[in-house]
Amino acid sequence: MTKLDPETRIPDPIELDAIEEARLRAAAGLAPIRSSTPEYAGFDQVGIPDRPPQTEREREVYSLEEGEMLINMGPQHPSTHGVMRLVVKVRGEIVVDIDPVLGYLHRGIEKLCENATYTTVLTYVDPMDYLATMHNEHAPAIAFEKLYGIRPPKRAEYIRALVVELERVSSHGLMMGFLALDMGGLTPILYAFINRDEIVDMQSAISGQRMLFNFFRVGGVNFDTNDEFLSRLGTWRGHVLKNIEMNERMITDNEIFRARTINMGTLSGADAISLGVTGPNLRASGVPFDVRKAHPYSIYHELEFDVITQQSGDSYARYLQRIAEIKQSIHLIDQIMDKMPHGPVQAQVPGIIRPKPGRAYAAIESPRGLYSVYSISDGGPNPYRFRMRDPSFISLQAMPKLMPGRLVADTMAIMASLDPVMGGVDK
Amino acid sequence: MGRRRALSTPALAGSLVRLLTERFGSDLRDLGTDEDTVEFTIDGARNIEVLTALRDDPDLDFFMLADEAAVDYGLDAHFEVVYHLFSWKHPAWLRVRARVDRSDPRIETITHLWEGASFHEREMYDMMGIVFTGNRDLRRIYMSPDYRSFPQRRDFVLPDDAADSPAAGVNPLERPETWDLSRFGDGSR
Repeated sequence: MTKLDPETRIPDPIELDAIEEARLRAAAGLAPIRSSTPEYAGFDQVGIPDRPPQTEREREVYSLEEGEMLINMGPQHPSTHGVMRLVVKVRGEIVVDIDPVLGYLHRGIEKLCENATYTTVLTYVDPMDYLATMHNEHAPAIAFEKLYGIRPPKRAEYIRALVVELERVSSHGLMMGFLALDMGGLTPILYAFINRDEIVDMQSAISGQRMLFNFFRVGGVNFDTNDEFLSRLGTWRGHVLKNIEMNERMITDNEIFRARTINMGTLSGADAISLGVTGPNLRASGVPFDVRKAHPYSIYHELEFDVITQQSGDSYARYLQRIAEIKQSIHLIDQIMDKMPHGPVQAQVPGIIRPKPGRAYAAIESPRGLYSVYSISDGGPNPYRFRMRDPSFISLQAMPKLMPGRLVADTMAIMASLDPVMGGVDK
Repeated sequence: MGRRRALSTPALAGSLVRLLTERFGSDLRDLGTDEDTVEFTIDGARNIEVLTALRDDPDLDFFMLADEAAVDYGLDAHFEVVYHLFSWKHPAWLRVRARVDRSDPRIETITHLWEGASFHEREMYDMMGIVFTGNRDLRRIYMSPDYRSFPQRRDFVLPDDAADSPAAGVNPLERPETWDLSRFGDGSR
């Protein structure tokens, strides 16, 4: 190997940035941001902000005691489930505190929706929680129907429930894969994506899109079921339980998986309610709250199902809860297919609707919990205020509660068991 | 299909309306119901009192905060902080609308009732500039810490000159020119 002459070699761009930053900071009279303390060398260390702490909590996180340091995870980290940044305060290998820093994917969807007509709002909400796109459209559709005073035809309601439950199966299936992936098991995610792809093909057959469907309309759905969709559904239904069983055999009794999930990140029911955690995470802590039962929307009052709960509230319970809900959703899909009536799938609604002034609140059970929309009409063609409550945004608040005392390596394993999706967190 | 069909109000909401009138009497304004929601308006200053009663009264038992959101009713009007609550005992969502003065947008935090309100309140502060007194962590959540405007207010001007927007500058800590950096002296970290 030839030795590079330090004078003539081409400098690394990162190095240039560091030199430039140091020069600018020196010119502004600020201290260098990167630590030169030898024992921390090589870590991705976070500097303390160059400004007074804005809040009590910020002061708490960013003031260090002897032996503590701040490290940075994300926003581009292979297992942060999107662009999310965590500032982790550690003492050696133990997490002391954690501060989620959000906003790297913020698109201002609420503001966009306030400038769009009611029909086009349903396209803007798609990329919110991108693993549960049908659910994202469901709540605004219900809210706008309440505002406009119209009900979709019966068959449209059944098709809605069908695609929404399919989406739940695919989303929960992916969570199982990601949870194993964050513990170093690469195989389950590949099988999870095979299973998801079958559902995506079905959704593509019925809506024409693979991910951002734009399938729901105010007063119905875009298309009726077709032959391709039904034949794919039949094939999928024939072997889906076997596939899930295979995944279960791969993960559920795995020694490493159990060691890293049982008694990890335990959340009590009372804490979960106080923190606003909903959905499977809340039911895994033993609270039987499911919007489909608590406030039946769409046709869920016509279907037979029980609210499943687990008792222990740890990562393992959250995983078992997902598996149980997948099976329950398949059971619901069977009932929906049996009961589906004939008829139109779209009520007569003009392209631009102008609801009477008023307010409407619609909540649904998304795979991540209570997803709700609060919409205000002032009589114009677009919503005066359009507010979305995303479940994974609120569930993230549990992180600083669950982490302290755990190892750094368990941060991602516990976070994956809460199953947040950054598209929804950052809106 | 049934265009503009009138929606029925469930008779079950009636008992909740009666109960609320008994408990709060004349404090409630604009008590109303729609398809599956009961709503009323209160003064922003009384939010803790009313929400604590709603949560802790065994007959009402609204144990879960479903949503907390802010609405801007325009320059010559007011802000509104809207709470949606859930109870097993009443098959209706409860919407509590608390009025906040637009010239001095302050309201008491509810993080001691529901810890999960913290992110909601940070978002409302970030987007609307409503200050929740007593919240331990009232930082911006989506925008960067040195951003100086409130994008979901009705008077938000184009993003190019957001800092000149009349909605800028509720919190003096967001004005970098006022920061005293000398305290962060040698900054070995």
